[in-house]
Amino acid sequence: MDIFLQLLASGLLLGGIYVLVSVGLTLVFGVMKIVNFAHGDFLMLGMFGAFFLFQLLGVHPYVSMFIMALLLFALGIVFYKLIVGRTIGRPHVVQIFAFIGLSVALQNLALVLFSADFRGINMPLSSAVISLGPIHIGVPLLVAFLIAAVITVLLFLFLHYTYVGKAIRAASQDRFSATLMGVSNSKIYMLTFAIGIGLLGVAGSLLIPIYSVYPTVGEQFALIAFVVVVLGGLGSLPGAVIGGLLIGVIETLSSYFIAPSMKQLVYFTVFILILILRPNGLLGRPGDAEEAV
Amino acid sequence: MKRTTVYQLLGLLVALALPLVLGEQDFLLDTLIMMVLWAFIACSWNIVGGYGGMLSLGHAAFFGIGAYTSTILFVHYGISPWVGMLLGAVLAGLFGLFIGAVTLRLHGPFFTLCTIAVMEVLMIIAINWKSLTQGSSGIPVPYRPGVLNMMFDSKAAYFYLALALLALSYGFTRWMNRSHFGYYLIGVRENEQAAQALGISSIRVRLIAMVISSALTAMGGTFYAQYIGIIEPMHEFSFALSAQIALMAIIGGIGTAGGPIFGAVLITLLGTVLRSLLGGAQGGLQAVVYGVLLVLVVLFIPQGVVPWFRQLLAKRKGGTVRVDRAEPV
Repeated sequence: MDIFLQLLASGLLLGGIYVLVSVGLTLVFGVMKIVNFAHGDFLMLGMFGAFFLFQLLGVHPYVSMFIMALLLFALGIVFYKLIVGRTIGRPHVVQIFAFIGLSVALQNLALVLFSADFRGINMPLSSAVISLGPIHIGVPLLVAFLIAAVITVLLFLFLHYTYVGKAIRAASQDRFSATLMGVSNSKIYMLTFAIGIGLLGVAGSLLIPIYSVYPTVGEQFALIAFVVVVLGGLGSLPGAVIGGLLIGVIETLSSYFIAPSMKQLVYFTVFILILILRPNGLLGRPGDAEEAV
Repeated sequence: MKRTTVYQLLGLLVALALPLVLGEQDFLLDTLIMMVLWAFIACSWNIVGGYGGMLSLGHAAFFGIGAYTSTILFVHYGISPWVGMLLGAVLAGLFGLFIGAVTLRLHGPFFTLCTIAVMEVLMIIAINWKSLTQGSSGIPVPYRPGVLNMMFDSKAAYFYLALALLALSYGFTRWMNRSHFGYYLIGVRENEQAAQALGISSIRVRLIAMVISSALTAMGGTFYAQYIGIIEPMHEFSFALSAQIALMAIIGGIGTAGGPIFGAVLITLLGTVLRSLLGGAQGGLQAVVYGVLLVLVVLFIPQGVVPWFRQLLAKRKGGTVRVDRAEPV
């Protein structure tokens, strides 16, 4: 029983990280109907940023969280102006492969600048553990989980109770009618994309005490984010939360009960099954996957 | 004779003569062989990705199935790779049929994500099923030259074999350009409902395209294994390989017969030139340039270089142009 509780706790905490990595992806898809295939590479930039802020300037990751969020927000605007904005409403091949080109360029730029080494930061925080009765919890994981919860709630409140948030949701529900109501789609898209990327600055900073960073680190996280977001329903924020927590628990349980090397097999199988049986995910809007969005 | 036919014959003659002219310049022949192999694979991808509009980013799965089937049969049981190539093609065709069948409802990015996931699953299986695949260290293919073993002393033989494979998929695409099947496939891509209303079984058309494309891609995998001499799951089932296959077709011009060939030539040349200019490391600066170029091409010449160039030529002559398609799916 203890071991089961421990696994459940670890799984939920891991799931919190997956939620954190996935909310930006689902937000961007929900509003812009674009799948950001370079999502993981922006996370990689966030992790490298937090790493260097700590290594060179001694900035604590929980401080650099705010700096990286702003930096990546700005980067999101730049890339929106340069690339993303030009793919809106274009055929899938343009949308998908513009992001893949961007992903290849970012990964290899990181390779040139930072080499392929694995880099992690070494601070007392990284190995701190709290014990709650029989359950042991890593502090950085717990912090990441709590901040993920706060961010998701804030994002939800922002989308539902602010004027800009309502405009974003309006644009995601019906871009044509939203335009008629005076919403500027291009501004909304730019803002959404920048928020989606900015959140990865937070995620990157929270991950750096836990995981090492290297140029292709984004690939694994991006694949998990796709699994999470498709499971929950592309474009659904509550879906990403449920999907993230589920995948975290599934991964932890299957590494323990089957084999650590099989955990990926398990969640990719879940992913494929969801795509086939319920392509709109648990909470997605019907028709998203069937229509050529 | 029509002008295109003349050009094709001329191209074929030049290609056939190349090894004779180059003699035993290994580096050049190596580049040429890989160029032709990628052209063949890109052409095969184009059947599904270009004509069918199903943007697969998991085609490495079929490539890997082809490579692993023939290699396992050859290494463990001494079965000729020629037989392995056919069996691999059948196996990959069946697998393509399966993927096609389960993804019938998925379009656009959802289909793409599913193909990636299926490929990842195969990669994990190939890494973990050690008794069959020797895990992540891969299987070395012992070098035993002989026509029966699809291994040759001279690079020219490999070149001609690759050329024959290319002729197979190019020929099929040319045939598609004027066959009912090709029109059905394009019809389904452009407007599935309308095509169905005309009595076209979109399911059948899509599945046939998947099977043929997968089987052809698998044949390329066998050739690759016999030529390179080692196969590894991290390469054979990789996203990078899948993306490269699709990119060649897209940069050249998807949905056209010649586009993928031109794209493969262009990308292979570009890779070689950039490597020699910017240093020999795997990845790195040349891949940055490659990524940026890709973004630029997709954004500004989304129809691909070949149709774009054709339009430019026609504009300069002031004539009209036969546009295969204005903008791809």
